[in-house]
Amino acid sequence: MTEGLQEILELASGALQAAADEESLRQAEARFLGKKGLLTAQLKRLATLPAAERPAFGEAVNRAKRAVEEAAARRRTELAGAKLDLELGRSVDVTLPGRRRPQGRPHLLTRTRRDAERIFAELGYEVAEGPQVETDFHNFEALNFPRDHAARDMQDTFYISDGVVLRTHTSPVQVRTMMSRPPPVRIIAPGVVYRRDDDPTHSPMFHQIEGLLVDRRVSLADLKGTLLHFLHRFFGADVGVRLRPSFFPFTEPSAEVDIRCIFCRGLGCRVCKQSGYLEIAGCGMVHPAVFEAVGYDPEQVTGFAFGMGVERLAMLRHGVDDIRLLFEGDMRFLEQF
Amino acid sequence: MLVSLNWLRELVAVQAADDEVARRLTMAGFEVESVQRIGEGVMGARVAEVKARAPHPQADKLTVVEVADGHGVRRVVCGAPNVPAPGGKVALAPPGTILPGGLEVRARAVRGVESEGMLCSEAELQVGEDAAGILLLPDEVPTGAALADAMRLRDTILDLAVAPNRPDGLGHLGIARELSALFVAPLALPDADLGALHGPPAEQSLSVEVRDAERCPRYIARLIDGVRVEASPFWLRYRLRSLSVRPLANVVDVTNLVMLETGQPLHAFDVDRVAGGRIVVRRADAGEILLTLDGQSRELCSDDLLIADARAALALAGIMGGSDSSVGETTRRIALEAAAFDARGIRRTSRRLGLRSESSIRFERGCDLDGVEYASRRAARLIAELGHGRVAPGSIDRQAARRAPRKIRFRADRCRALLGMDLPAGEMVATLERLGMTVRAAEGEAHEVEVPSFRMDVTRPADLCEEVVRIQGLDGLPATLPSGTAAPEPSGDALCETVRDTLCALGLHETISLAFSGPTTMRAPGEPPAVQIKNPLREDMTAMRTWLLPGLLCALARNRDRGVTDVALFEIGRVFFARPDRELPDEPMHVAALLSGKRPEWLAAGPDRDFFDIKGLLEEIAGTLRFELLFGRSAHSFLHPGIQAEVGIAKGSVIGWTGQLHPALCHDLGVKTALAFEIDLGAVPALALPRMVALPRHPAVVRDLSFFVAAPTAWDEIRAALVSGEEPLVEDVRIHEDYREPGRVPPGQKGIFLSVRYRARDRTLTDEEVNAAHERLVSRLSSRIPVLRR
Repeated sequence: MTEGLQEILELASGALQAAADEESLRQAEARFLGKKGLLTAQLKRLATLPAAERPAFGEAVNRAKRAVEEAAARRRTELAGAKLDLELGRSVDVTLPGRRRPQGRPHLLTRTRRDAERIFAELGYEVAEGPQVETDFHNFEALNFPRDHAARDMQDTFYISDGVVLRTHTSPVQVRTMMSRPPPVRIIAPGVVYRRDDDPTHSPMFHQIEGLLVDRRVSLADLKGTLLHFLHRFFGADVGVRLRPSFFPFTEPSAEVDIRCIFCRGLGCRVCKQSGYLEIAGCGMVHPAVFEAVGYDPEQVTGFAFGMGVERLAMLRHGVDDIRLLFEGDMRFLEQF
Repeated sequence: MLVSLNWLRELVAVQAADDEVARRLTMAGFEVESVQRIGEGVMGARVAEVKARAPHPQADKLTVVEVADGHGVRRVVCGAPNVPAPGGKVALAPPGTILPGGLEVRARAVRGVESEGMLCSEAELQVGEDAAGILLLPDEVPTGAALADAMRLRDTILDLAVAPNRPDGLGHLGIARELSALFVAPLALPDADLGALHGPPAEQSLSVEVRDAERCPRYIARLIDGVRVEASPFWLRYRLRSLSVRPLANVVDVTNLVMLETGQPLHAFDVDRVAGGRIVVRRADAGEILLTLDGQSRELCSDDLLIADARAALALAGIMGGSDSSVGETTRRIALEAAAFDARGIRRTSRRLGLRSESSIRFERGCDLDGVEYASRRAARLIAELGHGRVAPGSIDRQAARRAPRKIRFRADRCRALLGMDLPAGEMVATLERLGMTVRAAEGEAHEVEVPSFRMDVTRPADLCEEVVRIQGLDGLPATLPSGTAAPEPSGDALCETVRDTLCALGLHETISLAFSGPTTMRAPGEPPAVQIKNPLREDMTAMRTWLLPGLLCALARNRDRGVTDVALFEIGRVFFARPDRELPDEPMHVAALLSGKRPEWLAAGPDRDFFDIKGLLEEIAGTLRFELLFGRSAHSFLHPGIQAEVGIAKGSVIGWTGQLHPALCHDLGVKTALAFEIDLGAVPALALPRMVALPRHPAVVRDLSFFVAAPTAWDEIRAALVSGEEPLVEDVRIHEDYREPGRVPPGQKGIFLSVRYRARDRTLTDEEVNAAHERLVSRLSSRIPVLRR
C-alpha cells in the first residue's frame, strides 16, 4: 500500500524541484494536493480499505501530504529568493533625466504682483480694482489735474474720446474706492496702465500697484515706515532706501522713493545714471483737494498713497534689462521664472 | 533745466562743494539728473600780453608776435587778422598744450620763423563759435594766469528736473532761493536799478492795449532807444553757451539771459517795425496767418493769443515772436515786452501748433505777476548797458487787478501730526522764513503765513508742511507703521488665480500681451465693437483688443522665428467692447490658451498635440472650478471646420470656443498645427466651496463593452444613453477606445470600447445582479442607437 505512496512522493519531489517559477510550482502542487491530485485520490481510496488498515494508511497519506506541502514551501522560498536575486541584479542609469511633467510658470509680472500683494495683505490691505478705460474725471480731474494743466504732460495719455482715456495710472482706483465708501480705507490696486511711450525702458502698456490708506491721524512718517517695510521685504533687508521730495498733483507733501542702485551698490553706474539710486515709487499724503473731490472731509481724515511700477520692481529684482521681453511671450524667457 | 553753479554762486553765497550742492538740491525736490563739468579742456592755455607784432617776412597773411606769458617772452606766428597792438591780451597755447579738438600744439618753424605756441580763437578753444580771429581778452585779466581761471571758464552745469508746479525753478534766481533756504546763505538779487532816466517818456512812442485781460493779466512795455545791435561780450556768450542756448546778438542774448536768470520770458520788438508804435494783445482771428521766427507760417484759431500792432500780428503771445517785427542789425529802438500770460491758453496753443519754446515751457507752468516787473527792469538795464542805448523814462504797465498777497493759516500741531515728526514750532517757522515767507504768530500754535508771489505752488496748509519737510529733509523723518486696521475683504480675484495656477500646473506658461489691436488684426467671433484710440502710437495699435487669441498668435510667430516650435502659452486679461449706450466700455476678463508642437514625452518628442490636448485643458479647469462644460457645434472661420467646438456652461449659454486653428492660418503663421481656446471668465460660475461626498463602502464591479456604431454618432449621445439614470446601479462609464481604421471596422462604422462601473450603496453586488443590469443596459442602448455588439 505504502509503496505506492513512496512512488508518489518521489514523483512529487522531482516535479516540485523541476518547477522553475511560481506558476509551474502551483501546477505541480495541484497535481499532488489539488482536488483531483494524486495524494487526494489516495485519500479517497481509504473508504475502500478494510477498517483495520484505514488508520495506518490514512496516517501515511497525511504524512505524505505534509511532506509534499513542506517540499513545495521550500521550493517556493527558493524560487522567491532566486526571483529577488534576479530583481536585485537589475539597475538603472540614475543619471538619465527624470520623467518630468513640465510645469508652466505664472508670468514674472504675476509673480511680482502676488509677492507685493502678499506683503501688503499682511498689513491689512485689501485688493481693489477699477476699469482700464477711464473717465477723465477719475483719471485726472478728481486727482487734482486740472484741464490744460502742465501737470498732465507728466503722463502722455491715450485718448478714447474727450472725456475718456486709457488710465495713465492706477490712482483712479483711489477715487472710485473713496467715492464708494466712507473711511477708513486700506487698499492696494494692482493693474494695467497705459502711456504713449515706447522704448527699451518704457512700454505703452505696463502695470502699477497703487496703495491708499485713509484714516484719522495718518502721517508721512507712517508712509515712510510702510514703504520701508515693503521694500525691505521685497528686495531684502539690506536695500538702501531714500525719500526725496517730488511733485504729484494728488499728493502733498509728495516724494519719490529711491533704492540704492542694486547694480553698482550706490557707487554710480550706467543703469542709475551715476546717481547711485534707482527710482522705485512715487508717494505722498493725499491732497486735500482729492478728499474734497471724493466727498471726504480733509479736516477729519488724512491719508497716504503710493504707486509703483510692477515692471520696474520685477526688472530690478530679477535683472531683466529690456522691458519688451516681458510682453513678447518668448517661451525661453517665460520658463526662467 | 540746466543751471550753472558759477552763476548760482553769484546769486547766493553758498560755500559748500559742488557735490553737496547737487545732493541737497536733489533731496529738496530738484533732482539733479546729470552733472557736467565744463572748461576743463583748455587747462594748458594761458593769458598772454602782446609785446610786439610785425609782419611775417615770407607771408603776407601771417604776423610774428612777441608775447609775454608770465614766464618770459616768446615768439609766436599767428595767422589771424586781429592780432592786437602791444598791451592787448590774448589766449596762448604753449607747446605741449592739447587743444579740446585733440590737436597737440608743438614748437615749429612757420615759413622759416620759429613759433613757440599758438594764439587761439574761441572756436579752437571750443569756448565759442568765433573762428574769424583770435580771442581777445579784457585788459584787466592778469598776464600768465591760466585762461580757465582768468575767464571763469570752469563751471559745473547741473541738469535739474523741475516739477511742473515750480515755475520759479526755471530760473537761476529760483534755484538760488532754494539754496539760500537750504544752506542758510544770503541771497544777492541782480541789479535791476534803472537809475535816473532822461528824455522823452516811453509813452510818447509806444502804446499798449490789452484786449483779453484774462489771458494776459499783466503786460509791461519799456522803450530802449539808440541801441546798437552787435555780438554780445564773451562772458555773456559763454554763459548762454554753457546752458545750451545759442548766442545771437546782444539784445536777444539779454532777453535769454534774464529769462534764464529770473524764469520770466521776455521779448524784444523793433519799435520801428511796430505799426503806429501800438501794441495790441488780442485773440487771433480764425485763419489769421503769422510767420514765426522759426520760419514757419502758422495758421491760427480764435483761441490763440497774439501780440499785434495796429495792422497785423507781431508775435504768438508767450510762445514765439514773428519774423516781421524781430530785432535785426538795423534796429535802433527796442520795445521790451515783459508779460504774464495765462498758462492754460499758452498750453493749448502750443499743443495745437506742436510748437514748444523756452518761453512757452515757462508760461505753461504759471507766471509770477510781481516778477514780471523786476525782469522788465533787469533786462532793460542790461540791454541799455550792452547795446549802448538809453532806457526811456516810464513803463507802460497794463495790469488787470493787483492780487492781494496770499495768506495761509499754518498750525504747527497739525503739521506735526501730518508729518509724524516732532519739530518745534519755532523751527518750522524759521524754515518757512528762510523760504521768503512772512510768518506772524496768531493764537496758540497757529500762524499766519504770507507767501511770496513767486511761490505760486503754495496755496494750502499742506503745502507749507511740504515746505517744512522738504527743507528739513526727508532723511530725518521717522519711519512708523500706521495703527488701526481695516477689516480686509477677501483679496484678489480667486477665480482668475485658480485658472492661472491650473493652467501652469498643466504645463502652460503665462504670457502678457500688449492689449492693443490694429485694423489688420483678426476679428473676434461675433465682431464685437472695438474701443478706438484717438491718438494711437502706431498704426497697428489703433484700438483696444476684443479678444486674446491674436496676442497669443503673435507670441507663437515670435517663438517660431526664434526656433522654438513647442509652444504652450496662456493669457488671462481683459478685453474691451465699446458700449454706444455708455461712457465706458465693457471690460470682461478672458482666458485663452494656445498649444503648438509636440506633446512632451520622456527622452523623446511625443506626437503632435491635437484637439484633445486643448479640450483637456478646459475640462481640467472646469474640474478644478467644479462646473460642467458643454461642447457644441460651431462654425468659426479661423478654426478647422471639422475640429472646433462652442464652449458653453448650460444649453444656449456660450462662453467661448475651442478648436484647431484653420490650416490656412497655420500655414500663414508658419506652424504645422496649433490648438487654442478662449473663454469669458466673467461667465464662469463663482468658485464654490467643495462638499465632501461619502466614500463608497461596497466594492464596484466593472464590465467591458465593445461595439460598432455609425461613425457620426457622438460619444456624448452614447454616454447619455448609458448614464441616463434608468439603470441605477451604473456608477460611471469610461471610454477606452474610439477607432475607425478601415479593416478594423465595417464601412461607415466606428468601434467603441468602453467599461461600465456598477455599484450599490448598500450591498456588495453579485455577479448575477451585475450581469442582468449589464444586459438591460446594452439592450436599452441598442434601442436608442443602432449598435453592433462585438
